[in-house]
Amino acid sequence: MNLYEHTIIARQDTSPGELKQLTEKYSKIVEKYEGEVVKTENWGLLNLSYIIKKNRKGSYIHFKIKGKGKVIDELEKSESIDKKLLRYLTVRVKKFDLDIDYFGKKLENEKKESFKN
Amino acid sequence: MPKRQSGNKKGKQSNFAKLSIFQPNKYKFKKTCPLSAKGAPVVDYKNIKLLKKYVSENGKILPSRITNVSQKKQRELSLSIKRARNLALI
Repeated sequence: MNLYEHTIIARQDTSPGELKQLTEKYSKIVEKYEGEVVKTENWGLLNLSYIIKKNRKGSYIHFKIKGKGKVIDELEKSESIDKKLLRYLTVRVKKFDLDIDYFGKKLENEKKESFKN
Repeated sequence: MPKRQSGNKKGKQSNFAKLSIFQPNKYKFKKTCPLSAKGAPVVDYKNIKLLKKYVSENGKILPSRITNVSQKKQRELSLSIKRARNLALI
């Protein structure tokens, strides 16, 4: 069993309902191939640093998955066909960093800045 | 012109005096790596704030001779910067 961090970027015009469907769809695939989703994080709508397929923004979903390599194969197979997604990235890690949340804090800071403006 | 040259030589000599063996430790001119010290932040592709420090304005990775990052950490940095680029975070 390996530990993976998996991130997907969805198009900017996907509604929150559709995002939930996406997360359910992919966590079901993980469970189907004897994997386990330890944690899902929704990073929200972030600005892309360059335009991908005419999108300036993208909503990020982050999974922490425990499972065999076949899970990742199947995930990426179905993600490469999915038209709602822009990118995906899988990283194998030795340990999950469950306490540090990089994107929750950042969003708060951005909100504060926008209030100042 | 000859006057100038002699001036340069004097300057060099004074620099050389600074680098004697008997100098105290605080004049060491090589800084230590900022990422391998105790309590240093973890290099990770999600930690954009840290990665942005080691990227030029044009988005290029800065060489370690400028940032004083150790070889091992520089390898980690370049890998995680490339991952962050793929996710359009940088």
